[in-house]
Amino acid sequence: MKANVRHHGKVTVVDLSGKITIGDGDIKLREAVNALLEEGRKSILLNMGGVSYMDSAGIGELVACYKRATEKGASLKLLNPTGKVQDLLVLTKLQEIFEIFRDEREALTSF
Amino acid sequence: MGRKVKLKLLSRIAYVDLVHEVAEGLARDARFPKPAALNIGLAVREAFINAIKHGNRMDAAKRVEVEFEQNGDVFRVRVRDEGPGFDWNRTVDPLQPENVFRPSGRGIFFMRHFVDRVAFQKRRGKGTEVLLEKQLERAGRTSQPIKRRRR
Repeated sequence: MKANVRHHGKVTVVDLSGKITIGDGDIKLREAVNALLEEGRKSILLNMGGVSYMDSAGIGELVACYKRATEKGASLKLLNPTGKVQDLLVLTKLQEIFEIFRDEREALTSF
Repeated sequence: MGRKVKLKLLSRIAYVDLVHEVAEGLARDARFPKPAALNIGLAVREAFINAIKHGNRMDAAKRVEVEFEQNGDVFRVRVRDEGPGFDWNRTVDPLQPENVFRPSGRGIFFMRHFVDRVAFQKRRGKGTEVLLEKQLERAGRTSQPIKRRRR
């Protein structure tokens, strides 16, 4: 998995690509979000458009990132999850927890 | 007797992708459409991870055996560990509000969602076997779902 960070004003967008799975993607996701939280970033948008699928470890890490962000007073939202990732978010009822956007501009202005 | 493929691997997370790719590839060979083959790959992935973490308890010297079999329209996978066993009935429901924020506990839930049948069996002195089954649905025919049994 790859994570590229870009900044739009106060919002940090993390473009994720590949798969978020045990032993690789889950660790890279944790490292990317932890680094932003340590920098004091409060508005994080994870762009899931390039993520092909996740396993239970990847979903678990996404939940853990959300919890850590919330504990630090930051907001973590999702942009454009793909078919399989969207299915998993619905299946696990996490679509009820995360704010999910289809349009980046709309997501950026929501913070 | 259908075609059989067997993998015997050490308990290493590094092998998870390999097992997933073999499962998905064999499912495609068995004429499952791409989304169903991905679901089979994901279910086998979770069963393999489960065997390493909860079956063999991360003991890298212990092995996990993954056996694939296509028999008629049924694709069957058996994942066997060499560990002391685990209680598969103690898993929590990840959809309950108190569990939604848990970072773990979705592996068996995913397996049950992605294939038609999941069954656990203790093997005397030999660990645990997880059986996964998925029925191939052919166009123009209403398939008989595999009877779900609880063990």
